[in-house]
Amino acid sequence: MSLPSGSPEREGSSGALPQLECPSSPLGMDPDPPSTGSPVLSPDSSSHDALLSAPAASPADSENLSPDELELLAKLEEQNRLLEADSKSMRSMSGSRRNSGSSLVSSSSASSNLSHLEEDTWILWGRIVNEWEEWRRKKDKLLKELIRKGIPHHFRAIVWQLLGNATDMPVKNQYSELLKMSSPCEKLIRRDIARTYPEHEFFKGQDSLGQEVLFNVMKAYSLVDREVGYCQGSAFIVGLLLMQMPEEEAFCVFVRLMQEYRLRELFKPSMAELGLCIYQFEYLLQEQLPELNVHFRSQSFHTSMYASSWFLTLFLTFLPLPVATRIFDIFMYEGLEIIFRVGLAILQYNQTDLIQLDMEGMSQHFQKVIPHQFDSCTDKLILRAYQVKYNPKRMKKLEKEYTTIKNKEMEEQIEIKRLRTENRLLKQRIETLEKESAALADRLIQGQVTRAQEAEENYVIKRELAVVRQQCNTASESLEKAQDAIRELQQQKYTEPFVTNLQTQLEQSKLHEAELQGALKEMQDKVLDLEKRSTCLPDENNVAALQEEVKQMKLRELETLRSFREMQDTVTDLNQRWQHHMSRGSSTGGGGGHWKESPKKNAMNELQDKLMTVRLREAQAQAELREVKLKALQLESQNQIHSKLIGRNDQERSALQDRLQMLANQNKALQAQLNEMKRKQSESDCKSKEEVMTVRLREADSMAAMAELRQKVADLEIQKEEGLIQGQLNHSDSRQYINALRDQIAELKNEIRQMRGQKAAPSSRVGCGGGGTNYQDLCLASPTSAEGDYLSSDEDLLPSPLPPNALYPSLSGQCHPSAGLDSEGSTDSEAEERVLTHPDPQQLYGSMVCAEALDN
Amino acid sequence: MEAIWLYQFRLIVIGDSTVGKSCLIRRFTEGRFAQVSDPTVGVDFFSRLVEIEPGKRIKLQIWDTAGQERFRSITRAYYRNSVGGLLLFDITNRRSFQNVHDWLEEARSHVQPHSIVFLLVGHKCDLEAQRQVTRQEAEKLAGAYGMRYVETSARDAINVEHAFTELTRDIFALVRSGEITIQEGWEGVKSGFVPNVVHSSEEVTKSDRRCLC
Repeated sequence: MSLPSGSPEREGSSGALPQLECPSSPLGMDPDPPSTGSPVLSPDSSSHDALLSAPAASPADSENLSPDELELLAKLEEQNRLLEADSKSMRSMSGSRRNSGSSLVSSSSASSNLSHLEEDTWILWGRIVNEWEEWRRKKDKLLKELIRKGIPHHFRAIVWQLLGNATDMPVKNQYSELLKMSSPCEKLIRRDIARTYPEHEFFKGQDSLGQEVLFNVMKAYSLVDREVGYCQGSAFIVGLLLMQMPEEEAFCVFVRLMQEYRLRELFKPSMAELGLCIYQFEYLLQEQLPELNVHFRSQSFHTSMYASSWFLTLFLTFLPLPVATRIFDIFMYEGLEIIFRVGLAILQYNQTDLIQLDMEGMSQHFQKVIPHQFDSCTDKLILRAYQVKYNPKRMKKLEKEYTTIKNKEMEEQIEIKRLRTENRLLKQRIETLEKESAALADRLIQGQVTRAQEAEENYVIKRELAVVRQQCNTASESLEKAQDAIRELQQQKYTEPFVTNLQTQLEQSKLHEAELQGALKEMQDKVLDLEKRSTCLPDENNVAALQEEVKQMKLRELETLRSFREMQDTVTDLNQRWQHHMSRGSSTGGGGGHWKESPKKNAMNELQDKLMTVRLREAQAQAELREVKLKALQLESQNQIHSKLIGRNDQERSALQDRLQMLANQNKALQAQLNEMKRKQSESDCKSKEEVMTVRLREADSMAAMAELRQKVADLEIQKEEGLIQGQLNHSDSRQYINALRDQIAELKNEIRQMRGQKAAPSSRVGCGGGGTNYQDLCLASPTSAEGDYLSSDEDLLPSPLPPNALYPSLSGQCHPSAGLDSEGSTDSEAEERVLTHPDPQQLYGSMVCAEALDN
Repeated sequence: MEAIWLYQFRLIVIGDSTVGKSCLIRRFTEGRFAQVSDPTVGVDFFSRLVEIEPGKRIKLQIWDTAGQERFRSITRAYYRNSVGGLLLFDITNRRSFQNVHDWLEEARSHVQPHSIVFLLVGHKCDLEAQRQVTRQEAEKLAGAYGMRYVETSARDAINVEHAFTELTRDIFALVRSGEITIQEGWEGVKSGFVPNVVHSSEEVTKSDRRCLC
């Protein structure tokens, strides 16, 4: 029996609302009082029947009621139970929450045997609506109880209006006006309209009546309350109202809800009320479900995540519409308190499940499980909701707390904003300060560097100062010393050291002078040299000569001038004469008697003319002569110049000759030197030869002496042997023998003399023998030389120096061939040496000089 | 249904009312598109696993927020604990594009001291004929705020996966590089239970976070 659907009912109620509806409902007959009271069932809490026992277990309510009313209540409970069962069957038919919305309208479907119960309820609610004021005043508690049990569908429109005190509102008259206006929220509203109960029959379709009226009401409200305008979520409330009543009434009820039910605060742009609600709800949660609260916190499952929609849409978007509508019934009577209660009841009911879930799980649970938990047991939910402790005073207190917190937060926000700006400014300042400090640091560093440099400089200066001080000290010391010395000197001016000092100074100065003189000499030499050189240059003589020439030239010039004047004189003289002559001529001619005395005078004239011509010629000749003389003079002067040139050349030549001579002399001298050197060289050569000779002679001498000695030794040995032999033979004969020997010796000597004489004779005759000795050479050379006395002296000298016995060895050597081999080679040289040794060295030297001279 | 995931990122989806936030999230998390859906009153919550690299899964917790301005008093509490965000506008609704700046400002002022990596999403790109915002200007705006830009359609399932995974990859890269770190008392990024993966110490120790918004 899904007959009373939303739309027909609205059509029905569009006329006179409560009045019409009341008679339509079968409320006429009074319900019978229940004989059995409330049907108490088993205490099994899981059964929904147990929930039903709860309202019955409110004895306070039932005590205050009259038996008549109690009977009615029991009847109602019975009816409720049946309705519950009915809705259960409905749920199985329509699973989704949206579909269940449509089932709401047809919720009054019940089996025919229950219709009387339904009728009873209707009669009751009809009475309530009719005697509304009375009920509100006298039976408010019963009314509350009845509302908690659910307002029958057909009565909702009027009951909500009555509960909201929205039956007679002046704003209702404005409604049609408002619809003509346009709202700034129109666009937003229109966008949300299609999303409000989109699956509900009434609002389905783009241009459905539902959408249109919903838009109208939302727009009208946004115009009435510009501050709130349109808030998402509110359309669901209006939508629910529109499901029950025409748009004007719905508008009025909505205005009332906004004004009187805290909804306006909830939907205000700041949504401060929502925050408060959540705060209050959190408090209740903490108070009544501390474990779950802890779990939520640990999972950071914020209250606002699930509860904000509860408050904003009064469970209309959370729970299925029938359930939500039941809650809305209570909300209309009790206000937002029921939302807190139901919310907490839901959480309490799901506590054990939720505690085991993590955030996603909880989220899923809230989205999928919880909405449909109470589809068939709405009463159970409501019962649980009323078991929730709710202390309005406490809530008031919380509200105050919250406002203070919010204010504080606001203040803090402002403070934070202020601090942020301050912070920004400070940061900027820090930046600038940092820059400044960086600059200062730079400067500091620079300052330190310069200070260090200055310190270094200072140190250097100090050191210098110390040095200077020391110097100063030493200087002052030396000054003192000097002063002392001065004093001393002043005291003993002419002491000896001073004199010696002066002497040394004098000596030094003398030396210096000598040096200077030397330098002067040098300079003089140099000057002389330079003067010499300057002679080569055109000298004074030359200049004088030139001056002379110039003078001569001038003289000549004067002469010429003089002659020129003379010439001029002569010319003037001639001119005068000529003029005279001419005048004479003219005077004679002019007299007219010119021809009278002509023969004489003509001749005179002729003569005079001739004379004149002669004189002219003479003058000419003289002039020529002068010219010639001039030329001669010129030539003479030229000649002089030439002669002078010649002279100069001669001078040069003579100078050159002088030099030549000088050079020749030098050459000669050098040659002489050279000759002398050569002579000296030859002399030294001779000397060296001589020395060699003497050395050789000495050698030969020594050799000869040795040979002699050997000879002697041999002789003596022979004599010894002879003596021995003679001794051996007879001692008597020895005298004779000696004499004989003496004779022999004498003979031999003679022989030698003879031999010598023979030798000298043939050598002088032959001249030079092939094997002739040096001695013979020398002898031969002597006759060729100018001095023949050398030979004679040589002849005289030769035998004398030779010792008689000196020749023996050589002779004996010839006799004794045993020693001959040695002496044979040396005989020639020996002889030569002997000769060379003995001649007078001076004579020899003289001959050599002669030879040299000859060579030269 | 405890899945193994490397990290858990919390994302917030913001944007003007009716730009399609809930539809986009539903398409992403539930894989379906509802022609109509309730206006979000307050905040809704969704989650999904995303595999950004083979074997590397990230759990995304997505906050769906109410678009109407007055709900910001509720929604602004959710910025703080989000590491990333999708900023949606409707390409057929120029007004929603113009409000992008306001949304960023809103996020910026409420995210402190943390930061959010945002992705600009031009939604309803299937409605090309009604387009009021060009791709170029949207890209320009995104570039100006250092965001990527993606055009999506929940109805035709265009770029929906791409938008979420791109954002996830970006955040992951920042977590990897240490610019975003896991912090006590901050729900933006949480480390998962992965026995195989050893977290480098720098990911945990580094405490400074770059301001990205």
